[in-house]
Amino acid sequence: MFFVYTLERRVTLHPSFFGKNMHELVTRKLLDDVEGTCTGSYYIITIMDSFLISEGKILPGSGLAEFTVEYKAVIWRPFKGETIDAVVASANQHGFFAEAGPLRIFVSGHLIPSEVKWDPNATPPEWTDGDDTHIKAGTHVRTKIIGTRADIGELWAIGSIKEDYLG
Amino acid sequence: MSDPRQRDDSEDEDDFNPAPEVGSDVEDQADGNDDDDDQDDSPRRENKRQSPARSPAGDDHDGEDDEGEGEGEDVNGNAHDEDDDEEEEDEEEDEDEEIQGHRRKRRRDQRNAFIDIEAEVDDEEEGEDDDEDAEEAEGFIDREEVGEADLVGREDDTRHRELDRRRDAEETFDAEKQAEIYQKRYGARRPARGMGDSGVVPQRLLLPSVDDPSIWGVRCKEGKEREVVFSIMKRVDERMGTKDELGITAAFERGGPNSVMKGLIYVEAQRQNDVLSALDGMLNVYPRTKLLLVDIKEMPDLLRVQKTPTLEPGSWVRLKRPPKHAGDLAQVLDITQSGLEARVRFIPRLDYGMRDDPLAAMTPDGKRKRPLVGPRPPQKLFSEVEARKKNPRAISGNPTSNTWIYNGDEFENGFQVKDIKIQLLTVKDVNPSLEEVTKFASGGEDGVENIDLKSLAASLKDSSASVTYLPGDVIEVYDGEQRGVVGRATNVQGDIVTLDVTEGDLAGQTIEVPTKGLRKRFRPGDHVKVIGGSRYRDEVGMVVKISEDRVTLLTDQSTTEITVFSKDLREASDIGGQGSLGQYEMLDLIQLDPTTVACIVKIDRESMVVLDQNGDTRQVMPSQIANKLPRRKLAVAADRNGSEIRLDDVVKEYGGMGRQGKIVHIHRTWVFCHTNTTNENAGIFVSKVSNVSTISAKGGRSQHSSGPDLTKMNPALSMGPKGGAGMAPPPKPIIGRDRLVGQTVTIRKGGYKGLLGRVKETSDTHARVELHTKSKVVNVLKGDLIVKDAITGRELKNYDSRRPPGMGAPGRPGEGRTVPDWNGGSRTPMASSMSNRTPAWKTPSGAGNGGRTPAWSKGGGDFGGRTPAWAGADGSRTVNPYDGSRTAYGGSGSRTPAWNSGSKTPAPDSFSHGSKTPAYGGSGASDPWSSGSKTPYGAAAPTPGASGGGDTWGYTPGASGSSGAYDAPTPGALLGAPTPGAMNAPTPGAYNAPTPGAMNAPTPGAGWQGGWGAADAPTPAGGAPTPAASGSFAYAVNAPTPGAWSAETPAASGPRYEDD
Repeated sequence: MFFVYTLERRVTLHPSFFGKNMHELVTRKLLDDVEGTCTGSYYIITIMDSFLISEGKILPGSGLAEFTVEYKAVIWRPFKGETIDAVVASANQHGFFAEAGPLRIFVSGHLIPSEVKWDPNATPPEWTDGDDTHIKAGTHVRTKIIGTRADIGELWAIGSIKEDYLG
Repeated sequence: MSDPRQRDDSEDEDDFNPAPEVGSDVEDQADGNDDDDDQDDSPRRENKRQSPARSPAGDDHDGEDDEGEGEGEDVNGNAHDEDDDEEEEDEEEDEDEEIQGHRRKRRRDQRNAFIDIEAEVDDEEEGEDDDEDAEEAEGFIDREEVGEADLVGREDDTRHRELDRRRDAEETFDAEKQAEIYQKRYGARRPARGMGDSGVVPQRLLLPSVDDPSIWGVRCKEGKEREVVFSIMKRVDERMGTKDELGITAAFERGGPNSVMKGLIYVEAQRQNDVLSALDGMLNVYPRTKLLLVDIKEMPDLLRVQKTPTLEPGSWVRLKRPPKHAGDLAQVLDITQSGLEARVRFIPRLDYGMRDDPLAAMTPDGKRKRPLVGPRPPQKLFSEVEARKKNPRAISGNPTSNTWIYNGDEFENGFQVKDIKIQLLTVKDVNPSLEEVTKFASGGEDGVENIDLKSLAASLKDSSASVTYLPGDVIEVYDGEQRGVVGRATNVQGDIVTLDVTEGDLAGQTIEVPTKGLRKRFRPGDHVKVIGGSRYRDEVGMVVKISEDRVTLLTDQSTTEITVFSKDLREASDIGGQGSLGQYEMLDLIQLDPTTVACIVKIDRESMVVLDQNGDTRQVMPSQIANKLPRRKLAVAADRNGSEIRLDDVVKEYGGMGRQGKIVHIHRTWVFCHTNTTNENAGIFVSKVSNVSTISAKGGRSQHSSGPDLTKMNPALSMGPKGGAGMAPPPKPIIGRDRLVGQTVTIRKGGYKGLLGRVKETSDTHARVELHTKSKVVNVLKGDLIVKDAITGRELKNYDSRRPPGMGAPGRPGEGRTVPDWNGGSRTPMASSMSNRTPAWKTPSGAGNGGRTPAWSKGGGDFGGRTPAWAGADGSRTVNPYDGSRTAYGGSGSRTPAWNSGSKTPAPDSFSHGSKTPAYGGSGASDPWSSGSKTPYGAAAPTPGASGGGDTWGYTPGASGSSGAYDAPTPGALLGAPTPGAMNAPTPGAYNAPTPGAMNAPTPGAGWQGGWGAADAPTPAGGAPTPAASGSFAYAVNAPTPGAWSAETPAASGPRYEDD
C-alpha cells in the first residue's frame, strides 16, 4: 500500500560542498541516498519536495556537516493480507517467484490451487491446470501476501493464489 | 469381539462398567457403558442369576433409546406389519423387563434372516469367537434388520418372535440383569450410531457406586493372566444356561511385562463367592489365596488406559538387548502379528570370529560368545567376504538378494535383522543423531528416503520431554476438556502452562493446562525458527502450510521447503538464523584439498553441502574441510573479454546455461556467483573466469574504495571549465571555447576582403565567418581576420583567441597604449582622476573588471545587456588579455557612460552604496585587490544587484577574468557570494590573508598575472608601472593602493576611506 509519510534523515555533507547552494546539495544527496531504498518494512518510492533542513552541524573529527532533513516521501509497504499483482520471475517445483516492483514474492506449491500442477515437461516448466492457466516466468499473477520478511535492503514475501479471484 | 472397537476394549481391559475416566473420549464412555459386553459377554448373558442392579437412570435411558430406535424403524419401514411387530416388541420389552432374551432373540432374528431357526441350538456350542462376535455382529446387523427382514419375509419374523417369547419365558432374568443388558447393548450402540447424546450423561454418574458389583483381584501365575481370562470366558460359555452359571460379570487382566498389576486378574462380581466358584479348579490362578477387593475409588484407575507405544515400520528404536548391541540404534522393519515382537534392523557388531571362535569352542551353547569384558566390536556392516574368509562354514545365504545367515544371525544388505521383543526396545526418547541415521542411510539403497523426516519424526514424536513452551508462544489445546482453546502462554511452570485465551468463548480468561495436550500454533506467513529436535534445527523460515501438527516452512536461507513439527518451532523475530556451523558460514569458500575449493551452499546441523569448483555438490563434515579461505575483497580477474571483474560484479555465463549472477568469490580461475533465479545450491553456481562476461561492474568502485567522491566534490568546480581554467597554469586555457567565436571581425585578405562578419565557429587555423553583407558563412584563415569591437567597430589588435593569459599581459599594455580608446586608457585617466578624488574609486575603476561589475549592476539597460556577453565571454574564457581588452571595450563602450555617471556622481553614489554597506569599507579595503576590489565592490556596491554581482563573482565566470581566477580557489566565491558584506566584514586583512595565498599558490605567477592583468589592462597605470613579475605584478595592480595585499590593505583602505 502506498503512503505519504514524513520522514527524517541525517545527511552528512563533505566540506567541499559547503557553499551557497548547500541546501540544494543536501537535498540532492538525500535523494541519492534514500530514494528507492528499503528500510526494513517499506520501500521509499520517491521523495516529495517538502524539506525542512536543519542547520548544519560540523561533526568533530571529520569535518563533515550533518543536517537533519525532514521530508515527505511516498512509501510502499506490503501488508499481510494485501492483494497485489505481480509478474512471475521464475517457477520451480516448489512454487514460483514473482516480483511486484522491488518486492519478491514466493508462492509455494501449497498455496497454489490444487488443480494447478507442476508440469516439468512443459517448456519452460510451468504450473498449469491443463487448461488456460499457465504460470511461468513472465506470467501476470494476482497474489495475496500471507507473510513478509525483511532482509538487508530488501523485502521478501510469501504469497498465495489459493483463493477466489487470485491467480 | 470381532469388531475392532471391541477388540480394543478387550485389550484395554476396560470392560468395567462405570469406569470411563475423565478425559477419555466418547468411545471410552461407550465402552464404559456397555460394561460387560466384552470378552465375557457370553458368560454374562448366561448368568441369569446375579445381575446387579443398574442405575435406574441408565435403564430409563435405555428404554428411551430403544423406543427411539423403534420409531426410527417405523419411519423407515412405514406401516409394515413387521415394523409394528418390531415396535410392539420393543415396547413390550420396555414395559416388561422380564423379557430377557432380547439380545439372543435379536441375534436369532438376524441369523434367522439367513440361516435357519435351528441355529439357535448351537448357542451352547458356540466357541469363544462366536460369542465374541455375537454381540457386535448383532448390534451391527440389528440396524439393518428391518430391511433384511423385509426381504426375507414376515413369516420368518413372526416365528422368531414366538421363539423369542418362549425363550424369554424360559429365561427368567431378574430386572436388573435385564436392565444391564439393555444398558450394555444400547449403551454400546448409541455412540456408534452417532446419537451424540452420550455427553449428556455426566461422567461422574458413570462412576461405580456401592450398588455396583465389586472387583476382586485374584493372584495368578505371572504371564498367564490372559490365558486365565480366556479360560474364564470359556467356562462362562460352557455353563451358560445351565444351573450353575457363573455369577461374575466381568473378568480382566492388566498384565504385561511392565505392569504393576501383573500376576493378577480382576474379576467383577456381586459376591466373593461367585468369584471363587467361577475360578474353581482353573489352572494358573489361585483363588484360594487372599482376594484383593478393589476399592471403589480405585476402580476407574484400574481401567485407565495407558497408550501402548505404537511402533511403525521405519521408526527408530534403541536396543536394550543383546548387550552387545545395547544402546544401538535400530530401525523397525515390521511388527509381528502378535504385536509383541518387532523385526528390526541394526548395524551388526561382528568381528568375524576373531574372538568368537575360541569362545564358541569353549562354550558350545554360544551364550558366552560375547564376553562383557573388553570392548565390543565396532559397528560395521556385514561383509560377506570377511565372513567367508574367517568362517566359511557359518555362512549361508542368497547373494542376489544380499541376505545371509551367519552364525545363526540374519543379515540383509549388511544390516543385521532380528525379531526382538518390543519390551527389549527403547521406543521413547530415541533421539537418533544424524550420524547414526546416516550410517543406515549409507547402507540402504533407498537410504536417503529412509532418513527422511517421516521416520525420524515418528521416533522423535515420543520425546515429549523436549517440548518447551515459553511465555509468549501461541498455543492450542488439542486434547482434553479444553480442546480447541487457543491462547498465548503467559507462564510456564513445570508441566503446567498458563494460557491467556485469545480466541473463542473463553477469550480473555486465563486457564492452566498441562503441556501434554498442547501444541504450538502457527499461521501461514509466520516467521518461525526451528528450535529443536529435527535436523533442520536453527533454520528460519516462513510458514506456508500447516496440517495437524506438521508445519511446512520455506527457509530463508535456501528458499526450500521443509516440514517439521510445530513443537520444534518458535516464532522468530530475527532474520537470517542458521547459516553457520562452527567457523563455517553459508557461502564461505573452503579448501577441501590442495586442488579443490568449494563454496558452502547449505548448512545442516552437523554437516554441510558444498559446491566445488567443478560444479559438483557434496556433503562434507566440518572435519573434512582443510581450511576456510578468507574472502579476498581485492581479488581481480579478467573475464572472457578481458574486462576486469571483481567481487560483487554481475557477470553472465557465456554459453552454457547463460546464468547471470553476482560474484561472491573469485578463486584462481573460478568464480562462484550467486543468482536469485534458482534455488539450486542456494543460487550459487560456479564458472570459469574465462567463461563469464561482465554485465555491470559494481558502480563506481573507486569511490567506494577511496573515501568521498572527489569528482563530485565541489559543484562550483565542476560548473564550467572556467573554474579550472582560471586557476590553471598556462597550458590550460587552450581548452575551452575559442574566444574568437562570436566576435565581429573583418576579413583582411581574399575574396571577402574587407567584409564584416561574425565568427561562427573556429578550428585551429580557420574560422567560419558569417558575413554581415551576404547571409553567407565563409571559411577564413584565422590570421586573415581582424577583430573589431562589435559596437565601436574599432579594431582590436593582437587579438589572440587562444593565447595563454600569461602571454596576454605583455601584449596588453601595448594594446592599452595603442588604443587609447580602450580605455583602459580612457578609463584610466578617469580612474586616476577618480583615484585622485577617491582612491577608493580609482581602485575599482582601475580594477576594470571590478569597477565594471558594480557599474553594470547599477548601470541598468546598457550594461545589463552587455553583462551576459561579458559573462559568457569571460566566464568561458578565463582570465586573459582578451578579458581585459574586452572589458575594456565593454567598458569603453558601455562603461563610459556608466563611468561618466559613475565618475561624475556615481562614484560617490556607488560609494554611497558601499558606504551604506559596511562592505564598502571592505571594498575600499579591497581596492588593493584591484580586481579583488572589484568583487567586493561589485557585490557591495550594487547591493541590490548583489545577486548579479555576487553570482558573477561567486559562481559564474561572468564577473571577470580575475574574478574567475578568484573563484577558482573558492573561498572567495563562498565568501563573496552570499554576502559581500561578509566578505568585507572579516576585514580586508582576514580576507586578504586567505585569498592571495590561495590564489598565488595554485596559480603560477603567470596565471595570476594574467588574471590581474585583465584588471590591470584597463589601467595602464597599473600595467605600466608594474610590468613586473607575476606575484608582484598582481600587487602592482593594486599598486594604486600601494603595498602588499595582506597587511597593508586594511591600512590602505582605512586612509583611503577617510580620504573620501
